Amino acid sequence: MTSDTAATAATPAAAKSPRALARARRRHSAVRFWRAYRTHKAGLIGLGTLVVIALAALFAPLLVGADAQSVTDAPGEAMRAPTGEFPLGTDQFGRDLLALLVWGARISLTVGLLAAFLSVAIGTVVGITAGHFRGWYATVIMRVTDWFLVMPTLVLAIALASVMDRSLWTIVVAIGVTTWPTTARLVRAQTLAVESRPYIERAQALGGGHGHIMTRHVLPNVMPLVLAQTTLVISSAILTEATLAFLGLGDPTVVSWGGLLQDAREAGAVSAGDWWYLAPPGIAIAVVALAFTLCGRAVESVLNPRLGVTR
Amino acid sequence: MDTQDQHGRTSTSSHGGARPGPGPRGTRGTRRGRSPLLLAGGALAALGLTAGLATPLNPAPRQAEAKADGKKTLTVAVAQSVDSLSPFLAQRLLSTSIHRLTYEYLTNYDVKDARAIPGFATKWEPSADKLTWTYTIRSNSTWSDGKKATAEDAAWTFNKIMSKEGTATSNSNFVTNFRKVTAPSPTKLVIELKKPQSTMAALDVPIVPKHVWEKVDDIAKFNNDKDFPVVGNGPFVLTDFKVDQYVKLKANKKFWRGAPKFDELVFKTYKDQDAAVAALKKGEVSFVAGQPALTPAQANGLKGEPDVKVNNGPGRRFFAIATNPGARTLDGKKFGDGHPALLDKRVRQALFLSVDRGTIVDKVFQGNAVEGAGYIPPRFSDYAWKPSAEQELTYDPKRAAKLLDDAGYEKNGDGKRVGKDGRPLDFRILCHATDPNDKAVGKYLKEWWGDLGIGLKVNCLDDVSVPWYAGEYDLAFDGWSVNPDPDFVLGIHTCAALPEKAKESAATDNFICDKKYDELYEKQLAEYDPDKRAAIVKQMQSWLYDSGYMNVIAYPNAVEAYRTDQIASLTTMPSAAGNIYGQDGYWSWWSATPASGKGNSDGGGSTGVIIGIAVAAAVLAGAGALVVLRRRATADDRE
Repeated sequence: MTSDTAATAATPAAAKSPRALARARRRHSAVRFWRAYRTHKAGLIGLGTLVVIALAALFAPLLVGADAQSVTDAPGEAMRAPTGEFPLGTDQFGRDLLALLVWGARISLTVGLLAAFLSVAIGTVVGITAGHFRGWYATVIMRVTDWFLVMPTLVLAIALASVMDRSLWTIVVAIGVTTWPTTARLVRAQTLAVESRPYIERAQALGGGHGHIMTRHVLPNVMPLVLAQTTLVISSAILTEATLAFLGLGDPTVVSWGGLLQDAREAGAVSAGDWWYLAPPGIAIAVVALAFTLCGRAVESVLNPRLGVTR
Repeated sequence: MDTQDQHGRTSTSSHGGARPGPGPRGTRGTRRGRSPLLLAGGALAALGLTAGLATPLNPAPRQAEAKADGKKTLTVAVAQSVDSLSPFLAQRLLSTSIHRLTYEYLTNYDVKDARAIPGFATKWEPSADKLTWTYTIRSNSTWSDGKKATAEDAAWTFNKIMSKEGTATSNSNFVTNFRKVTAPSPTKLVIELKKPQSTMAALDVPIVPKHVWEKVDDIAKFNNDKDFPVVGNGPFVLTDFKVDQYVKLKANKKFWRGAPKFDELVFKTYKDQDAAVAALKKGEVSFVAGQPALTPAQANGLKGEPDVKVNNGPGRRFFAIATNPGARTLDGKKFGDGHPALLDKRVRQALFLSVDRGTIVDKVFQGNAVEGAGYIPPRFSDYAWKPSAEQELTYDPKRAAKLLDDAGYEKNGDGKRVGKDGRPLDFRILCHATDPNDKAVGKYLKEWWGDLGIGLKVNCLDDVSVPWYAGEYDLAFDGWSVNPDPDFVLGIHTCAALPEKAKESAATDNFICDKKYDELYEKQLAEYDPDKRAAIVKQMQSWLYDSGYMNVIAYPNAVEAYRTDQIASLTTMPSAAGNIYGQDGYWSWWSATPASGKGNSDGGGSTGVIIGIAVAAAVLAGAGALVVLRRRATADDRE
């Protein structure tokens, strides 16, 4: 980073194109972000955990075999306790539970990320427009937001998931459209703060339209907030996904952690006391949710200057 | 009739449903104060998912087998809800079982071989022209309010059903052929028929007391659950009912066959089978109904428990895959959106040639089922049928592939089979979200059919009846409990059972309508000679098998369990080896004798608790460690 700064300083500013300058500035701030992030030990632990889990999920076919989910080629006997061959035992079809756990990470992470992205995207659009347009539009849209805010998320998601087809996308949509109000409220508050600054007025005086103000001036300013919010929403999205799958609202033919718990319950693993079937998916869900929360907290305190001041 | 326990629509869809489950804490609240909340929330919710699971100990009060007042109570854990307590409306197995216990039927079934034996009627005989049946009604049966039960009550009941003022929901198939029902004397009931009917000794219709029911304003809407005790003349009297909580019955001391040995019989609702098993281990319930059957893991877990006996007898239901033959109404109007390729018999047969029934019995049912063949379970040996060696569609993917090639569905470049119209063979299968077996078999089908180049989408719903009646499915998991008399389960595949209007509910199972089958159905109904009738019934099953409309995969066993320290003995039906819950009679509960010893009931369930505590401790420790870490990380910033 030091060499970077030196290079920038050494080259005459005029010789650089604006684009290169912007790139350098971005690189600069990324490095600064990383340095600040590094000071948060919990954030590093969370990040490390996530990287490990994400790699495992990504390379699942190489790690545990592409046909681990196949019931017709299941290698073991049904419901066997952990052994050397199957470190976490087998499920009711005789499939290796460790392999299923690794495969399940794919679905849980994918759904968690997509749902969080959808939720934050909806929340950001609603928040920025409500903060920008004010008037009756803001009143109406914020009342809708309030309505979603007081509705129990899970109940709404269950209702949605049960009327739609059983698929991955259903779960993503069900979580996405029910968890956005918090983001919307936060983004709206930030938008109001940003829009009260003089430069917005200046931009308007220079002929900037609504679209220009919202995308060029407000959005970049609320982005840090949105980023931090995303990492925090992911953990709750993963939990909601697991809950919905556990309640039997997921796609029964794909393996996810919540789905594994549901399979275990349906197979009667609870009353039979087959802990190796029940505990690993539950712990995996907890660990991933925790890891995202830790990262989110760290990102939040790095990006939000006000948090930094009080610390 | 107990048959209407359809595996699909109303009956099993009632257990399960949306279970209250642990969910994530919301991420509401102020932005700053969120972190500890979310940390704890995340841990808690995950904990709820594991530990909460491992300890499904119902907080219901401990119900000992002998109460303070010395009453002997038998508690049965059931998963199903009561649809209606009215004998005119009830269709689910639980409700019809309760009617078996609280009302008399003209005839009953022998506990050994299920032949018709005296019930409310002591004797019955047809006239020479086979069109008039005379029943002698017993004179020693009284209603629980003291009035005598007579033939007049029976005549009134049948006439009410025949009036069809919304009163034929459950029993229409028995009376459609009736011309007139009269009671010339208190002990004589005469039924005149339009055509001969072979089911006259197996009329599964509960006889209700006329003097109570004629005061009911609108029988079509009356659920018989307001005035307790409900007047009846069966071995038990219905005394109390709370929706989805319990149904209470007390012994009828004046029952003509002899009073039951237990004083009270309670059907307690446990939506979750695992919770019911835990309650059995704790001694809170005496019996767990095998509907749905206990899973192999549950049964194996219970086998090791002291004072618990697992009953694993041949069941009376079949588990099948039905194909949509093109939904249509009585007057031939087509509706629904079933895949057109399924209209080709070769495609249907190819599908079933690629289902390895043996593997499903071994892996999904883990031996707790008998491999499927004919439509009627082998338990009913008079009517059960098996395909001959050359007729049999055994697991043979090569033959299936050839059939599909012949039918014009060749594999394209992607390995998918595509019809001449360019439509790929992508099927949907309706599955009951509440039935684990459906989902498990769905996984196998997806792989077997996938190898063949056929796509499958497993569409699991809590309530399959809407797409089912609308004909909006290609394939569906299907299943019925079969009565000793097979008329009902055969009748649901006749043209007469088709709906009058599109998407309307009807008696039809999956819209089969075939002239040859209908002729055979009429023939068997009119045939009074048991052997000849059985031969016709077998022909009908042979036709069904060849048609590829119904692929009977297995006959699942009734896997149920009870506490031997609360119930000393019980009668299964058939008595040699059979089921206890959902019998074609009241034998199990009527014959159950209470155990003398109190028995301990604290041993069980502890494994679950220990696991729960261990997991809880592990997660809490993890969360605690992180909190400490965080505190350390921010130690510099705090004062």
